[in-house]
Amino acid sequence: MTTTATELEAITDAAVIDARGTACPGPLLEAKKGMTTVPVGSTIEIWSTDAGTKNDISAWSGKVGHDFLGVLEADGYERVFVVRRK
Amino acid sequence: MSDTEKLVFMVTRGPGEAELATIPFVMAAAALASDVAVTMAFQGDGVELMRAGVAETVEAPGFPPLAKLLHDVRDLGGALLVCTPCLKSRGIAAPDDLVEGAELVAAGRFVVEITSATNALVY
Repeated sequence: MTTTATELEAITDAAVIDARGTACPGPLLEAKKGMTTVPVGSTIEIWSTDAGTKNDISAWSGKVGHDFLGVLEADGYERVFVVRRK
Repeated sequence: MSDTEKLVFMVTRGPGEAELATIPFVMAAAALASDVAVTMAFQGDGVELMRAGVAETVEAPGFPPLAKLLHDVRDLGGALLVCTPCLKSRGIAAPDDLVEGAELVAAGRFVVEITSATNALVY
């Protein structure tokens, strides 16, 4: 799935998982935990300062069956968007 | 948890090699988060990591503390199998001196775990 930056910016109801400051595999574990807090079809937004997170979450989403939407750069961290699909 | 995918991590590095002792825990936690079953198999100096209180002393630069990773692996359902002869040769009393969840095994169980796994990685 390809989502443009403009479309990502328009997502205002994502559940924020703040994993900033945690090292690998912290953001991934926080994403997994965060998925259980939202209904199927909902979007979560993982905040991370770990440079490997966007690739990690993208691969993980494909592996476990969620939709990876993309990444937005923020001030010193990245916002990674994933839709829960199961 | 998947019925078909399992990884075995053979851990042979002790607390004196913090990075290589930590990486298999990182991999195990990521695997468990990805619905892949995990068995961690501790042999040689790796059994020192299963001694109660040792994980709290290990932190490699750039990685989470080992105690946090051990907690994550246990919490996500990873198995912790410890080589009984390796404990004996190091004078570690089993199971009294071991962390919660550590299971004492010998070579036969390791063989079963490895041959039933998708892959085994040695650290």
